[in-house]
Amino acid sequence: MANELILSVKNLNVKFHLRGQELHAIRNVSLDIYRGESIAIVGESGSGKSVFTRTFMGLLDSNGYIPSGEILYFGNTATAGINLAKLKKERDWRAIRGGEIAMIMQDPMTSLNPLKSIGSQIAEAIRLHQSDIKGSAAINEKVIEYLREVGIPEPERRCRQYAHEFSGGMRQRVVIAIALACNPRILICDEPTTALDVTIQDQIIHLLKDLKEKYQLTIVFITHDLGVVANIADRVAVMYAGDFVEIGMAEEIFYDPRHPYTWALLSSLPQLGERGEKLFTIKGTPPNLFKEIKGDAFAPRNPRALKIDYIKEPPYFDVSPTHKAKTWLLDPRAPKVEPPEAIRNLKDLESVYG
Amino acid sequence: MNTGKEVLFEVNDLHVTFGKGKKAFEAVRGVTFQVHRGETFGIVGESGSGKTTIGRTIMRIYTPSQGNVIYKGEQISGKISKALDKKVIQEIQMIFQDPMASLNERAKVDYIVSEGLINLRGRSLKEKERQELVTKALEDVGLLPEFASRFPHEFSGGQRQRIGIARALIMEPECIIADEPISALDVSIRAQVLNLLADLQKEKGITYIFIAHDLSVMRYFTDRIAVLHKGKMVELADTEDLISHPAHPYTKALLSAIPMPDPIRERKKKLFVYDPGIHDYDRNPPKWTEIAPGHFLLANERELTEGFGQK
Repeated sequence: MANELILSVKNLNVKFHLRGQELHAIRNVSLDIYRGESIAIVGESGSGKSVFTRTFMGLLDSNGYIPSGEILYFGNTATAGINLAKLKKERDWRAIRGGEIAMIMQDPMTSLNPLKSIGSQIAEAIRLHQSDIKGSAAINEKVIEYLREVGIPEPERRCRQYAHEFSGGMRQRVVIAIALACNPRILICDEPTTALDVTIQDQIIHLLKDLKEKYQLTIVFITHDLGVVANIADRVAVMYAGDFVEIGMAEEIFYDPRHPYTWALLSSLPQLGERGEKLFTIKGTPPNLFKEIKGDAFAPRNPRALKIDYIKEPPYFDVSPTHKAKTWLLDPRAPKVEPPEAIRNLKDLESVYG
Repeated sequence: MNTGKEVLFEVNDLHVTFGKGKKAFEAVRGVTFQVHRGETFGIVGESGSGKTTIGRTIMRIYTPSQGNVIYKGEQISGKISKALDKKVIQEIQMIFQDPMASLNERAKVDYIVSEGLINLRGRSLKEKERQELVTKALEDVGLLPEFASRFPHEFSGGQRQRIGIARALIMEPECIIADEPISALDVSIRAQVLNLLADLQKEKGITYIFIAHDLSVMRYFTDRIAVLHKGKMVELADTEDLISHPAHPYTKALLSAIPMPDPIRERKKKLFVYDPGIHDYDRNPPKWTEIAPGHFLLANERELTEGFGQK
């Protein structure tokens, strides 16, 4: 992985006006994303993972705003260091959306236009973002090339068909083709496989991996399921209540997790369950983001919380140069707490599935 | 969990067809299996395999075009007596996939949970008894009794699914058909709902028919698994047996697709895609064969001797 920054988020805050109250959705978050890597953002529903990435494209709902923080984008040399958090005009955003940063949404059933053939939807993206391709014949050729690229059989015929003529997995491939046609540098995948079958999910993840190499994309993969990102992610950032509690290389997060919330997320995977025994569950509910959070946000749900967790917010402790976690357990004065047994030997899972 | 081998359901050569004439589509094409009392029977397959259709046919929502469903020795598919219909409604209940779509947004939880009971019992159900039963059902699924006076939109996905389970439980069913009950839920909530279903089975001895597309959940939750592909059952075995000795290439494909939380292994993993073209079934049709005690496989003679290779 090259260590060239492509996007740098610094002390970002996002708030929403809701029923006369302020909801603090993203709480002072910093994250560096490097060119050519794939980073997974993992968290429960409502943790803020989608809101966080939507700020990169100016897609916050109208009641949301950024009171402070920076999102610096270094994608192209012309605008290197542009602060996306300060962009206000639609015209400025149009230079970023699609051509620089593109997004794949969760549900392929709703993200395609049912009234236009899928070929014309891809052609629209090419016309907007690849102005060097001119003439309908050349564009049409390019459309077919993209469809072939994402693994749709008989692209010459299928480019004239409509979204309802495709299965869920094929539709998601079309959505990916549209995103590719924008020729982006960063591809944000917001739960791209949640609505799909496991076999199809596996295929889509392999496809994204191949395309990432071929088009030198930077991928930001959002999911609630730690199980699916082991394959695709170089790095994993775990989000809880609008804040990253642990960031590290995939190997570090899966084989050496340090934050109790990461432990809990891993332990609750049904892949790890033993028949006849109870699956691990995370007690309680995520904190109310209308109120100010004191101390460690996960403390009330953490059975092994320390006293200080309720009083003072922990800083990041470095585990390695690439791995940091926000928990007092890493303080040298903290008592030694072992991660739960179920997740200590993730490398030995082969014994379970043969 | 398998208490004895009393057969609760018998599904014999079930065919379900939608549409008529040229447009007819056979969603289920000859499926035979038995479900024992107290067990969890899993049906796994991808979208369009017909797994939901089988569940709904058992529930009497669809009528089979051929074959039948026997429940406790009586046929419950096709035309049946009113008394038997009532019994089936009470004893077989269903939990649906999407808790956001399966609850009536305009009704209070109190009514949603007891609606089935009101329909079944009519005037013989006294208000006081109804309230007691609702309270008990809500407590059984870990919700507070005061939730009865609220509307569905006030609840999270996991809580809504609990309401869906309470609605099934209040009928005191013998069997619950759970159609992808956790697919629409977050991973951490999935574990809670699965634990709840397991507890209820232990307490009340309910039989489950568990329908899903994901074998990782199946491995944890079921006693036996039937693998369905394009309306046909291709393999049926005890869960442990099926996971450790899968015979059919489609079962192997499903197993290989389970995402594991292990980056090194996942990156090495080769995608295994099932290609139905490897069978030579036009010349040599397959048979449903017992290849080991309790382990059934759909294969023809060549495949049984040589394995599933190229033709």
